[in-house]
Amino acid sequence: MNLNFAGKNVLITGGSCGIALALAPLLISEDLFPILTFRNSKGEKKIKESLSGWKGRYDTTFLDFGLPGKMGEIFSKRTDINYMVDLAQGDYETLVASANPDTLSQYMAENIAARAQLVRLVSRSMVRKRFGRMIFVSSVAAGMPGKGQGLYASSKLAAEGIYRNVGLELAARGITTISLRPGYVASGRGDKFIEKNRPALLKKIPGGCFISEATLAKTLVFFLSDTGIAFNGVNLTMDGGMSCGK
Amino acid sequence: MSTFEKVREILAEILDFDKEEIFPDSYLMRELTAESIDLLEVALELSLKFEIEVQDDDIFLRKLRSIILDAGENGLNPVLAIVEKLPHLKQERVEEMLDELNEGPVLKVRDIVSYVEYLC
Repeated sequence: MNLNFAGKNVLITGGSCGIALALAPLLISEDLFPILTFRNSKGEKKIKESLSGWKGRYDTTFLDFGLPGKMGEIFSKRTDINYMVDLAQGDYETLVASANPDTLSQYMAENIAARAQLVRLVSRSMVRKRFGRMIFVSSVAAGMPGKGQGLYASSKLAAEGIYRNVGLELAARGITTISLRPGYVASGRGDKFIEKNRPALLKKIPGGCFISEATLAKTLVFFLSDTGIAFNGVNLTMDGGMSCGK
Repeated sequence: MSTFEKVREILAEILDFDKEEIFPDSYLMRELTAESIDLLEVALELSLKFEIEVQDDDIFLRKLRSIILDAGENGLNPVLAIVEKLPHLKQERVEEMLDELNEGPVLKVRDIVSYVEYLC
């Protein structure tokens, strides 16, 4: 299938995670230009090592939801951002009632308020070009959280709402959005969880398999493409059928 | 080119009007049919063209009614309260706005021009 892309530059937040690193080469092979964000030198190094064969075909930039005042730096390398794949998400698993009050506030500020600031900033730059496409990588947990995932799931839900409204409000200017809710992805934190609970988890998934980084990355490429643009303002679940029944 | 002419050029482009159809006293919403998304674009273009940081709430008078309500609740003169919060507006212009508040959105092209000139 030949995919076409109206734009060129793709900002990938959470750029050092496994999904981002699987996605970037696919984008490059479609002649797109990924800009992967990192929060620290470890993340930057990981990106550079993973994409060492693609020098000059991608870039990196600093982005930390804990420092929203520095968000403007995402435009330091390329002033036009045509696409955004938002993979950034903090990790804080705890019962809501057990959460540390300060950590709870910080977590919500970073994963909801700061993300809203980012979406505002990026969408404003897209309005001027009258084109833009954003994909928020949410989680199936947004709709069916496990115990201990209350803050994670509610921040994902809130972010979905932000993206949904941008798709609603700015589609008339060529800016569209979707939120993708993957189920169990064999990547990063998910991978460790899968390894610990593999048989029990597989029983929950009618499709009988987990999602690989490569599969998710290919799906993201499709939804970024001109062909995927009719999907706008919606949440799409990609979980092998895990959430479709009891 | 005057500030008005530059603003008019931006409005004509975004709102799809001929420049000659846009006057300082044209109402943005009531006559030039500007919608929220158009106003967003106008603010972005003004920011770029004049190199100013446009605050959408201020330039488009989004808090006008809440300023009036707050002034009433606190026993303040609404005209002075508006001029204090939106200093780009002259007292005479605010009085005009209050007179016609019930007729619809009061924002005129010249209010945009005043905002830009105030910041430049």
